[in-house]
Order: sequence, then C-alpha cells, then structure tokens
Amino acid sequence: MEIEHVDFVSFLTQDIGRARRFYADTLGLEIETEGEHDMELSCGQVTLDIFDPSSIGQPFAPSPAGLALRVADVAAARAELEAKGVEFDGETIDTGVCHQALFRDPDGNSLLLHRRYAPAAAR
Amino acid sequence: MGLIEAQRVDFVSIPTRDRERAARFYGETLGLERNPNSTDTWIEFETGNVTLALVVPEEIGLDFQPLPFGALALRVPDVAAARAGLEDAGIEFRGETWDSGVCHGAAFQDPDGNGILLHHRYAPYRDGSTP
Repeated sequence: MEIEHVDFVSFLTQDIGRARRFYADTLGLEIETEGEHDMELSCGQVTLDIFDPSSIGQPFAPSPAGLALRVADVAAARAELEAKGVEFDGETIDTGVCHQALFRDPDGNSLLLHRRYAPAAAR
Repeated sequence: MGLIEAQRVDFVSIPTRDRERAARFYGETLGLERNPNSTDTWIEFETGNVTLALVVPEEIGLDFQPLPFGALALRVPDVAAARAGLEDAGIEFRGETWDSGVCHGAAFQDPDGNGILLHHRYAPYRDGSTP
C-alpha cells in the first residue's frame, strides 16, 4: 500500500471555544477552517484538526500523540507559555540530540516543544 | 505566528507497548520508510510530510493510552484498495468506509489499539487547489 502523506492529526476537545483560545491565541497557530464543533489549524506542514466528539455522540478521550512543535529555542518558548499560565510536565529534557518540554492543552492532549540540535543521520 | 513561533511539526508520537511489533506494523504492513535517525530505542518512520515516532510510555514514566479514534489520517490514493490490502493482512476495520461528500475515510486500529484513518479527499479545497 502507498501512503502519500499525513492529511491531519486530530485532537478531541470538550470545549471548542477554550481550544480555540489556546491554539489560536496562546500558541498562535493559524486557523484554516472553523465550524461550530471543529476547526483546522495550520501547524507548519501538517493540519491539526480539533473536534468536539459530543456533537456526533462520540466519547471524548485526550490524545497522547505528543505532537512535537519545532521552536527555535525550547527554553525561551517554554518561558513564554509559562508566563501565559501553561503548565509543563516536568523539566525540559536534553536527550543528547534534542531538547524537549512536554505540556498539555486544556483538554489534556499532549504536545511537546522540540528542537533537535544534533545533525541528522546520513541517508 | 504567535508567542512561540512554532515552525513545523517535528514528529507525532505513536504510543506502543511493544516497539518491535509496532516497527513491523509501520515498516512492513504500512510500508513506511524507516528514518535513519532511528536507534534501537527510538524508531521513526516517514510519511511524506510528518515523522511518526514510536514511544513506549512506560519507559518515560507515563501510563500507556492509545491514540483515540481517528487521531491520525493517512492519505492514500484509493481508500478501498488500501483497506482491502490491510484486511488481507489481518487488520480489522471499524465500520464501513464512509463518503463525507468531500473525502473517503476508513478507520482501523494498529496492534496497540491506536486509532488511524485511511483518508482521501477528492474534492478541491476552498481555494480551488486539489489535494
């Protein structure tokens, strides 16, 4: 089978207005499309879809997808978000090839601030 | 861009309780290319635009929870054909393939129960461009 692309990554929410404030205002992602129960945001090369499953009678569950957002400087970006009241899970990690800091959106979906500093392996 | 100037998505984490089983599924069953940055304990696959990273949550002190229904939408040229191929490989789908009016979709779970979609949008986007 041939997989061409990831069309979107989907997070569920229990409060679309709260999610909108978090993703559009706090994180500053651009809204691509928006409806009463869902929205799509541009996350660089991929679309992040946010959807209220109660609108179609489906259960809510937070995603552990650990969506890794590339930022120029993890420490600086973390400080900016903490100043806005975003809580992080533990200290920023240095894996030996990258820095990463784990946080969650207001629905508990998991995200990372991420910056690789080591060169990529040769292909 | 806002506060943090997120530039792109470096990877999406796929939680697993069995890294080798997951690596076989994503590498062999789905046929994704393994990223040469991979190590024995950090395995990445490429999808064309986004890297998928296999993560064993227990190794970093987190409880395992699968990705919920439809958490990751994989674009394929033909949903029916891709579904048939996966069903031949023993993958069970949840419900029928749907036609939303702009796309076809079919939902399945990987061996850890992560919710994945096969997806193909056939309608143009609002700006007139095609997928």
